[in-house]
Amino acid sequence: MSSLQQLPQRRQRRSVVTGIGVIAPNGVSTEVFWKATREGMSVIDLVTREGCEQLPLKVAGEVRDFDPAVLIEERYLVQTDRFTHFAMAAANLALDDARLGRADYNDSPFAVGVVTAAGSGGGEFGQRELQHLWGQGSKHVGPYQSIAWFYAASTGQISIRGGFKGPCGVVASDEAGGLDALAHAGRTIRRGTDAVVVGAAEAPLAPYSVVCQLGYDDLSRVADPYRAYRPFTEAACGFVPAEGGAMLVVEEETAALDRGAPVRAVVAGHTATFTGAARWEESREGLAHAITGALEDARCAPEEVDVVFADAFGVPAADHAEAHAIADALGRHATEVPVTAPKTGTGRAYCGAPVLDAAAAVLSMEHGVVPPTPNVFEVNHDLDLVTVSARPAELRTALVLSRGLMGSNAALVLRKCPSGSPS
Amino acid sequence: MSAELTFDELALLMKKGAGLPVEPADLAERADATFAEFGLDSLGLLGIVGELENKLDRPLPNDAERSRTPRDFLDLVNTVPTTGA
Repeated sequence: MSSLQQLPQRRQRRSVVTGIGVIAPNGVSTEVFWKATREGMSVIDLVTREGCEQLPLKVAGEVRDFDPAVLIEERYLVQTDRFTHFAMAAANLALDDARLGRADYNDSPFAVGVVTAAGSGGGEFGQRELQHLWGQGSKHVGPYQSIAWFYAASTGQISIRGGFKGPCGVVASDEAGGLDALAHAGRTIRRGTDAVVVGAAEAPLAPYSVVCQLGYDDLSRVADPYRAYRPFTEAACGFVPAEGGAMLVVEEETAALDRGAPVRAVVAGHTATFTGAARWEESREGLAHAITGALEDARCAPEEVDVVFADAFGVPAADHAEAHAIADALGRHATEVPVTAPKTGTGRAYCGAPVLDAAAAVLSMEHGVVPPTPNVFEVNHDLDLVTVSARPAELRTALVLSRGLMGSNAALVLRKCPSGSPS
Repeated sequence: MSAELTFDELALLMKKGAGLPVEPADLAERADATFAEFGLDSLGLLGIVGELENKLDRPLPNDAERSRTPRDFLDLVNTVPTTGA
């Protein structure tokens, strides 16, 4: 029976963040993004993208200072939409940050996978080709239309460009899918993959895409960039959309340590629920259940949560539901834990938004500071919302929340990793 | 476009349609190398066929998008069909 005793103890394969890449309205690198986030800069501004100027959506978070031709080879540019340009550029930054290069996986390309979340796909590319179709005829539609506007395009192109042959996937589960993608990466790693390039980036600021969003009652129509998106206040009047997002490199902990990679945080727990489109009252129960589930998954007590990155939807009923969900799930700790929503300075980049929050959460834990919630001053909920300026705090556990317009709710627990000490 | 398709024009089409910076001289010299070796995938070739058909205002042979090499492609495109079959 000695063979049984010799079986190695099968430890759960733990997922850790080793790289962060950000392409956001407030920074086209992780460093600039973090500086702007910590300073509480608001970059919501008038919509200037071509063809959008006359539309009723007046302000948004545009990614400016982004020249895809500098970052991505032309052969990929011609066959992809702006949302994929963002994702590919962010993936590159994340891989550089993780110091994960071809030499690391040349001999084991099947050990690296790709997962993205997407809310709408390549609207700008699709619009251009549909205009060719109806303006000039079917023979003038390019073949790359077949792949560029598909919501799976970013996963595919990142995989092809990097030579990642491991499990690839796309999560289409509404805005909260950004967190679900990180959980999916964690499951992929548990099943044996060493590393996953994971995240989301969106490009909803093009004429066709903006017109699609005009149907959302919850979209802010306020033209003043500083007043358009003020969740948790009396002045809450809807949300401001944004483009961009983030990609992370998530690795199996021992694989990361073996190659000497910087271990930034542990992806410790996640739960997703669904409570129906625009049923904000019901999202209270759904989000509370997601928080409780994520904490159980992470074996984390409510009191251990050091900071909450709120969904901060910006519609009174939704904000009310979120504040109560946090209280339902965290109990008395809910009024003591610092809560923040940095996205009020950038707008909501749909699936990209919660990944940006996850990136900010990791950076917050590393720097020991809770970034503020720009443009929000008088909070009318029983939450300790961090406003005006960043607050220093020792942060070991962060809770990231996200909800989508279509009724998805998700919670993700990230924990700081004591350097070089796998547990 | 009445004259025959040249390597120069094919290189231009590859650049415009598929974003591939290919030197015409290189294309001529390695005319028997596969399109894949130049980085052109099947969708890229399909796009070039469509672009050419619009320019020539006539359909290319059915097999055009299945050409394996630049030489195969030029031979096929420059062989004007004399019969319907």
